[in-house]
Amino acid sequence: MWDRHDPERLEQRIRVERDGSITALSGKIEFGQGIRTAFAQIVADELDIPIERVNVVLGDTDQVPFDFGTFGSHSVVQETPLLRKAAAFARHLLLDRASAKLGLPAEKLDTEAGAIVGGGKRVPYAELLDSEPLAGTIPDWVALMPADRRKYAGRPMPRLEARDIVTGRATFVADVRLSGMARGAMVRPPTRGAKLRSLDDSAARTMPGVIAVVRQGDVVGVVAERDEQARAAAGAVVAEWHVVPVEGPTAEVPMRSDADVDEKFRAAPVRLAQTYVLPPIASAPIGPSAAVADIRAGGATMYVGTQRPFGVREQVAKTVGLPEKKVRVLPQITSGTYGRNSAADAAVEAAILSKGSGRPVLLQWTREEEFAWSPSRPEAVLEISAGLDAAGRIAAWRYDEHTNVHTAAGLDPQVLTVTSGRNAVPPYTGFPARVTLHIEPTRLRTANFRSLAAAENVFAIESFMDELASLSEQDPLAFRLRHIDDDRFRRVVERVAERSRWHERPGGRRGRGIACTVYHDTYVAQVAEVEVSLSGAVRLVKVWCVVDPGQTLNPEGVRNQIEGGIQQSASWTLREELLHRDGRVINTGWDTYPIATFRDAPESIDVLVAGDEAAPPTGVGEPGAVPTAAAIANAVYAASGARLRSVPLTRERVRKAMAV
Amino acid sequence: MKLALTVNGERHDVDVPPNTTLLSVLRDDLGLTGTRYGCGRGQCGACYVIADSRAVASCLLTADQATRMEITTVEGLAEGSRLHPVQQAFVDEDAMQCGYCTSGMVISAAALLGRDPRPDEISIRDALAGNLCRCGVYGRAIRAVLKVASPS
Repeated sequence: MWDRHDPERLEQRIRVERDGSITALSGKIEFGQGIRTAFAQIVADELDIPIERVNVVLGDTDQVPFDFGTFGSHSVVQETPLLRKAAAFARHLLLDRASAKLGLPAEKLDTEAGAIVGGGKRVPYAELLDSEPLAGTIPDWVALMPADRRKYAGRPMPRLEARDIVTGRATFVADVRLSGMARGAMVRPPTRGAKLRSLDDSAARTMPGVIAVVRQGDVVGVVAERDEQARAAAGAVVAEWHVVPVEGPTAEVPMRSDADVDEKFRAAPVRLAQTYVLPPIASAPIGPSAAVADIRAGGATMYVGTQRPFGVREQVAKTVGLPEKKVRVLPQITSGTYGRNSAADAAVEAAILSKGSGRPVLLQWTREEEFAWSPSRPEAVLEISAGLDAAGRIAAWRYDEHTNVHTAAGLDPQVLTVTSGRNAVPPYTGFPARVTLHIEPTRLRTANFRSLAAAENVFAIESFMDELASLSEQDPLAFRLRHIDDDRFRRVVERVAERSRWHERPGGRRGRGIACTVYHDTYVAQVAEVEVSLSGAVRLVKVWCVVDPGQTLNPEGVRNQIEGGIQQSASWTLREELLHRDGRVINTGWDTYPIATFRDAPESIDVLVAGDEAAPPTGVGEPGAVPTAAAIANAVYAASGARLRSVPLTRERVRKAMAV
Repeated sequence: MKLALTVNGERHDVDVPPNTTLLSVLRDDLGLTGTRYGCGRGQCGACYVIADSRAVASCLLTADQATRMEITTVEGLAEGSRLHPVQQAFVDEDAMQCGYCTSGMVISAAALLGRDPRPDEISIRDALAGNLCRCGVYGRAIRAVLKVASPS
């Protein structure tokens, strides 16, 4: 593309600044997964410089190379080798320059704490910049720092932003303050896609603090000096809407179709068919969507929380009629959004308000708007039937996933397979399978959500594996191991069994369940222990998890991500259901959409990071959340005999299943 | 209306519309953006401040009501460059992910330790039950507060 940077150029990746500090550049975004720290670790190691002197710039579209977006926990995977190579190349060039300057062969020189040393001399990096900045195509041959000289990567380390966060100094999107900045509030239609029929803003315009009532197409909002004034005036705008029903797409994608599935199923001596059901749920970030837009005739600056800074640039440029290169997007620290930040809603709205009022505008959605207008995780109905042979092995597997679209990326079957169909194909081997994805229409706005469809599919698959084991009187752990032929997968399953002492069953009203999966080459296995009360209330007591994400840069960061994924997934499983009618979300507050609190947190979440150091690093932001629902449901069965095939596992549902 | 507030030990004079919330004054008039908006209904804890030694939701107090209280925000906990023990423990335990809810958690924990220097785990869970966290750092936050409550 005409203005897109080439990511393989050193000057787009690493800058040695005049004060000798290092700037590392990436289009990836930090939202709590610790990538700023991980990137600083590898750059500090390769350039042999204290980590305090490495500044990581993420997502500033005027500075960083083009990036499609931060998705699927893949930031570390994709960016680590590139940044590492870039930093190593920078060190190589610095050694060359010092060699020329000192008249010593490069082999006689070394690096130490941000300087070149050798021949009794010490030249700080900054003194090697007089001719020109470091530049060039990053070659493949560049030698990396040997592992025994790495000081940071692979060691636990607190997040670089930690101090700013605990003191309140960290600048989240809604904390940006610009000179002359006004506040925005939107006027919402009854349902998405509604067309504006008429607008009466005469009362709103005369209210205190109001600067402008802005309309562009069917988007209407108010700009005022203060937040409360903007909201009050937005409430006084009288808009009439023409409701146009919007419905999501329909598609059918065969994902796997082995020969003889139906014959083998019919011939199997033991057969089982079950259906699993999951409701839609909300991303429910603690900080609602926000954006600051400063749109001027000559150019625009956007302060946003986004996973796709270049995508926001494109959308905002189109919305306000500026060329893309005149729009600078500066991603800020943002509330975790778990996939929802793929959409640039607040940014586009803030841009419209800023352009229409001639002022920089901060728009922060209300809690109600966040629930009502954000995309949600789609609902899912998973039908599985399988047969077991006389030896108790799976002989045939048939799987139909019914869900709504998980992404706005289109209906290409390949895209659907890895989004709405993610993890629909079981990770087990030794049998023929047929897996079909059915995309059903919905009026609810659905889109990217943490792990896409994997959490739903793995809930169904791992619950069903337990049911098959139970039906054939096999231990759930042993039954899984019989169908695993990948050594890394086998290892995480065996290790979680060891750590949780799987074979020692807790007594009383307690029980344990196991679940495991392979998510984008990250291997993860979990055991959950629950207590089920007489009336069916489920308390999550403990969780054990073993994860193999390949080579591990920051084990403490991995542990934090996995723990968080488990905690969030436990909340989805035990509490959450988004209610909607005709595309409108009904529960739009924490009182009607309760999530897990401090009182619900398990006694312990024991995470063992057992990465295969010979394997490339894989993502950890999502996999932790994937097996938890099934581990909990299987534990509820072990504790009470209640087999729950619908989430959330409410007291009423559990009690009813116990009584049978 | 003209108001005088005491925030983090300093007096601030502001002129704001009637019924302006304390949260709005902190963020928009005093520049103390560490106190965050989460729901506007006192249900999430992101906007907690210490008001006369109790953790309260600043979105539910009017600035006028707050004139009669001593307000401490997350910015007022550290002494110079020395972090409050709770802040230090949150850093040490990596008890945060996105960090949006952290201010409120730190405030609740500091208020708890102010009235009970040795709380047990149940008291900690109760005191922080009003602070929602979506990233799921509850376990780490409990450990951090326990560490301050019972230093080894």
